[in-house]
Amino acid sequence: MSPFEPTRRDFLSNLGMGFGSVALSAMLHRDAMAAAPVSHGNHLPLASVAPKAKSVIWLFMIGGTSHLESFDPKPALNKYAGKTIDETPHRDVLNSPFLKNERVVAFDPNNGHVRNEIFPLQTGWKKRGQSGLEISDWWPHLGDCADDLAIVRSMWTEDSNHGAQLQFHTGRHRVDGFFPTIGSWVNYGLGSINDNLPQFVVMGDPIADCCGGREAHRANYLGPQYDGIPLDVDPVAPLPYAQPPGDVYREEQAGEFELLRQLNGVSAEAYPDDEALRARIRSYELAFRMQAAIPEIVQFNDETQVTRQLYGLDQAETKTFGEQMLTARRLVERGVRFVQVYHGNNGGAGQWDSHKGLKAGHSRLCQQVDQPIAALLKDLKQRGLLDETLVVWATEFGRTPGSQLADGRDHHPFGFSVWMAGGGIRGGVAHGRTDELGYHAVEDRHYVTDIHATLLHQLGLDPRQLTVPGRKRLEKDFGSPIEAIIA
Amino acid sequence: MRHHQLSILPWMGLPWMGLFLLGLLGVGVWGAAPPARGDSPAPGQTPDYLEQIKPLLLSKCVSCHGPLRQEGGLRVDTAALLLDGGDSGEVVVAEEPDQSYLLDRITAEHGEDRMPPESEGEALTAEQIELFRRWIAAGLPAPEAEEPLPPPEEHWAYQPIERPEVPPAAADPLGEPRNPIDQFLAIAHQQAGVTAAPRADAATLLRRITMDLTGLPPRPDELAEFMADDSPEAYARVVDRLLDSPRFGERWGRHWMDVWRYSDWDGYKNELRGSQRHIWHWRDWIIESLNEDKGYDQMILEMLAGDELAPEDPDTLRATGFLARNYHHSNRDIWLDATVEHTAKAFLGMTIACARCHDHKYDPISQREYYAFRAIFEPHRVRSDRIAGQPNVAQDALPRAFDAEPEAETYLYIQGNEKRPDKEHPLAPAVPAFFDRPLSIEPVSLPLQAYFPAAAEHVEREDLAAAARRVEAAQKALDALAPAKESSDEQAAASNGELELARLKLSAARAAEQSLARRWDADRAKHTDQPAEETERLAAAAATAERQAKLLEAELQVAEKERAAEKAEQAAQAAADKQVAAADKPADAADAADAKKQQAAVAKLQKAAEQASKELAAAREALTAAQTAAGETATGEESHEYTAVGEAYPRQSTGRRLALARWIASRDNPLTARVAVNHVWLRHFGTPLVDRVFDFGLEAPRPAHADLLDWLAAELVDSGWSLKHLHRLIVHSQAYTAASSGLAVTEPVGLRQSAKIDPDNRLFWRANTRRLDAEVIRDSLFFVSGSLDLTLGGPEIPATEGETVPRRSVYFQHAYEKQMTMLTLFDAASPNECYRRGSSILPQQALALSNSTASLTQARRLARQLCSAPIDAAATGEEAGASEPLLPAEAFIRAAFARVLSRPPRAAEVQLCLEFLDRQQRLLADPAQLTASAGKAAPQLAPAEDPAVRARENLLHVLLNHNDFVTLR
Repeated sequence: MSPFEPTRRDFLSNLGMGFGSVALSAMLHRDAMAAAPVSHGNHLPLASVAPKAKSVIWLFMIGGTSHLESFDPKPALNKYAGKTIDETPHRDVLNSPFLKNERVVAFDPNNGHVRNEIFPLQTGWKKRGQSGLEISDWWPHLGDCADDLAIVRSMWTEDSNHGAQLQFHTGRHRVDGFFPTIGSWVNYGLGSINDNLPQFVVMGDPIADCCGGREAHRANYLGPQYDGIPLDVDPVAPLPYAQPPGDVYREEQAGEFELLRQLNGVSAEAYPDDEALRARIRSYELAFRMQAAIPEIVQFNDETQVTRQLYGLDQAETKTFGEQMLTARRLVERGVRFVQVYHGNNGGAGQWDSHKGLKAGHSRLCQQVDQPIAALLKDLKQRGLLDETLVVWATEFGRTPGSQLADGRDHHPFGFSVWMAGGGIRGGVAHGRTDELGYHAVEDRHYVTDIHATLLHQLGLDPRQLTVPGRKRLEKDFGSPIEAIIA
Repeated sequence: MRHHQLSILPWMGLPWMGLFLLGLLGVGVWGAAPPARGDSPAPGQTPDYLEQIKPLLLSKCVSCHGPLRQEGGLRVDTAALLLDGGDSGEVVVAEEPDQSYLLDRITAEHGEDRMPPESEGEALTAEQIELFRRWIAAGLPAPEAEEPLPPPEEHWAYQPIERPEVPPAAADPLGEPRNPIDQFLAIAHQQAGVTAAPRADAATLLRRITMDLTGLPPRPDELAEFMADDSPEAYARVVDRLLDSPRFGERWGRHWMDVWRYSDWDGYKNELRGSQRHIWHWRDWIIESLNEDKGYDQMILEMLAGDELAPEDPDTLRATGFLARNYHHSNRDIWLDATVEHTAKAFLGMTIACARCHDHKYDPISQREYYAFRAIFEPHRVRSDRIAGQPNVAQDALPRAFDAEPEAETYLYIQGNEKRPDKEHPLAPAVPAFFDRPLSIEPVSLPLQAYFPAAAEHVEREDLAAAARRVEAAQKALDALAPAKESSDEQAAASNGELELARLKLSAARAAEQSLARRWDADRAKHTDQPAEETERLAAAAATAERQAKLLEAELQVAEKERAAEKAEQAAQAAADKQVAAADKPADAADAADAKKQQAAVAKLQKAAEQASKELAAAREALTAAQTAAGETATGEESHEYTAVGEAYPRQSTGRRLALARWIASRDNPLTARVAVNHVWLRHFGTPLVDRVFDFGLEAPRPAHADLLDWLAAELVDSGWSLKHLHRLIVHSQAYTAASSGLAVTEPVGLRQSAKIDPDNRLFWRANTRRLDAEVIRDSLFFVSGSLDLTLGGPEIPATEGETVPRRSVYFQHAYEKQMTMLTLFDAASPNECYRRGSSILPQQALALSNSTASLTQARRLARQLCSAPIDAAATGEEAGASEPLLPAEAFIRAAFARVLSRPPRAAEVQLCLEFLDRQQRLLADPAQLTASAGKAAPQLAPAEDPAVRARENLLHVLLNHNDFVTLR
């Protein structure tokens, strides 16, 4: 061990005063309990139900991935291609009571409308795996993992514009304001199993400010200690202020931290009742460890060539997302609770937003993420981590069965698909159903917070425990676990 | 499982609080299910009324069947009241669940028949219904002496503010003069058996008061002076000096900016989406107003209705940034909802927004009253007025509120749904009737400059001056061309062309000047109600002048575009010729690459030529149109239409906002002064007197120090709403000047006892240790090294420049997605809402303070000053030897502590620092053995070459990371 990487135990036992020994004995006790969750905040961990999963990897496609070309095959669209919805036997979709769930913020002539002329499927479909789960041809690698997936084909949301991105993370419509996000609730509810790392890590360019911005990984009223911490797959600058500037020597900084520890220790003698001082001493210790631990995570020196190829690091199209997926695995391996990865930021609505040119756009974007996501699932599985890691793939809404601008599809909040894998979720199942046109979720309908509730359940958390004095949560914020996909 | 939540609730035992508490625990005030333990009764057992039944009644029923409202004449906040039944008779029959109407209603299948109705709350669960069934079957057992919930009229915060008697001064054990604040607190201390802590030591106190009032640490000379001055007036002198400092307005301005939701404009790229450009004028108004101790009542008037109060005074108009800040680009409802919500929260501690979709569940505010309150703001909009000296509103302008639509109707949105306005019943502007003090609204007639801002003297002067400058420039250009003699025909021809163009430019400029002057005449007449004949005559003249100007401008455009098109064509042709010539020559690879480049260049030039020719065609079309228009004038088909020189707005403002402002800023309003005092108290002590600073409604229990709050509120009002008076009172109290923590507090037996009795210091028997606010931390970094630029006011500085530009943090961009990372890490206010800051302790804060270029640069800068300056040598008893290039180490350490931590070092600290300097200097002496950090950032100042100096830089950097640097004791 290098002299300037004091262990937590050295750190506290060297302080040579009362509070140090108390904290130390607590820590020794915890170390003995191996991976038991511990608190890092001002409250106790809340996990109660026997947890199935320890960590979550949350993948979010920005802009609205077409369910019709991904996870919810609708051959009727080919049959009626070019006809208007009124000309099909399914014209009643336009009178559905579900239409009133839509909440429009501002009228926009360019999007969020009924597109009446049926647009045929832009790609083919195959039954994949033992389960024969149908997955589109744009997801060939993910198809290899079909038997691990639980696709929920009956999602609905309220916002027909891209504020739905924020809504997917908080459960609240954009105009209702900002609320804690699912990742921050997990962070708040579970506490840490690794003292060297933040518990809620975010990768990829976040949602643009049009659509909720960084509020999609913030903790809002839970306080900034529960915010997601953005991480770049860049060993030099993985997070803000991650390392001292280049004109500082590592040994120099280690010397400074040593003096700081000593001086704060003197203050601790003068102020034996100062809890905040103890917390700050700990925060410096964690900061020092994070400086070393975080760059190590985004360096892949210890990954084999096979692994690198599996994630597609050797191909231009898949490299960026592949690195993020590999980093995600490395993070959960080290005990990080929640890893949120965004794909498709373009400074506005998001790249998946295919009002036109859906075929070209989606096939290119799927190529960027398909192999890396499949690699993540396969890699987690071969390492025995998939059982304790819940992977969620989501997007803010689906796309219209009708065409827009000749070769695209418009926003569609009434029915769309997401999937989950690992962490005690059943594999090879498709849950819920949309109607023949893929218009409305009609069977086992799920609002976005049902996804939250499901993953909280797998983590051993009851959403109803996740409340904070003075902050009202609505029934819809809590959601209900989707029992049918829980193994 | 919920113990940790319970333990942090400091208040108990009040009936309404009980209701609130249940909500916190998810029992269902907010639609959540009760804890599992409570709702699965053991089979056959009788449910406990207080534990199992009453919580359900309070959370599910009482908002409509309680003291606030008695729907159907029924109240259920005690078992006796429930037994009394309602208008339609009894609702429970003892021992007869099946005959109890209550069970019918809570089990009803359909929507509004069911209790609670679908639109009001979640249905009871089967288990909860079973509890009721069993309780009824058991004969409704309940304790006899059950207090009903108090009526809202009795709520403490709704009582008029009456100055309470100051309790007689008890014998003061510390022998210090008693401030009335302490006399109030002494009663509580006596009752609880706690002893007040002694006064903090001088260094601690000076740092506390200086930070609190100015947001900056004391300078070493101020520290030395204060520590040396034992006179009883020393502290008062410091307080006066700090309250008089312009830094006071910056510090407290930032506090009030939190409460008043200051936000710079936000938006994607250059698109404005929220707040307003140049809203910093409001920020400067806040800072100036606090510095001049403008009355808090006056500040409220100016912020809500500055445009009605002083319509021609740009300084006052700045205040309406409070309203302009709520602007929302795509949705007027969001805009007005925010205005309503935050006006009520900030000034009144009233959560009126809860009544947007339904009547308020706890407070006496109906849904209709929410919209009536909105009606006060319905007519107003935001505009930007020109500022003298800056005609370009993109550069600077004054964003301000005004009544744009005096007739705009306000409708209640059924269930809060903007798609379902109740158009049958437009609502008149009003405040909630419960307060029994209706608004008195008088429309305000506006002066010319308010409804026609172009009438401001500077606007006409600057625009005409700009037109005159154009004429002058054109004349000069023409004069420069005219005397030149041509040497050839070709040159002469070209020169003629130039000359022609220059003449045309001059004519066009003159015509434009004329047009502007005539249009000004016409607009002035129009907006000052001159006789119709005169107005029409001037309008006709303006129209003629404008058409003439347009005609000449069009001719000029055609001439210019012709030349541009010609030039572009020639350039394209020349390039193409050159390319053909090059293609004839034998080529190698390099030439091929060249040729490709050339080809691209030619294509680009051709495109430009095409564009120029398109513009020419458009200019010709415009010319034809202008000629036709001018022709009409010539043939007498006169039009009086001309382009106005500026926008005109309604001549009358509704006066609604002014009425509201007066209603709020009145001594008769029971909430305003109490809410303000609470905000100020919070920021001096770290904890408020009323816990939820934005909610003084029925959910807020009577505070432990209600008399003190009222006394301070009365002081505020009676001093002419002087905030400085309030500050002075507070900071002179013993409660404020007391020691906060440390051995001083934990050693003496009496104090140890106090710490046991009241560990959370709810009784203010000591001061609180606080973490400094984000802005104070950053500003102090720059201040201690002497580099903080203390310029006051001005446009917001980009958030990205926070590490390098040494201005105070309050002047940097503060908007959604545009905040300084360093500040957000230390819990800076969310621009959206922040009535009370958090104060977290995070590893990212440690990274920010230790790794930011700002902290390194300032440590290095300060080291250079302290190393060379022979300061304090005498004071510290050190001798600065003449041959010694550096200040002796110990003197340096003392100076460093004084500068950075505003206190002398302890002996142990001196020893540790000496050892460190020695160790670090040896380490740095051999750089070959060291590993550089991989970080990319570059501090503005490089580290010192000399290892001894560099070690001292390191020491200062450590002190900037010291817990005491970010802590107020």
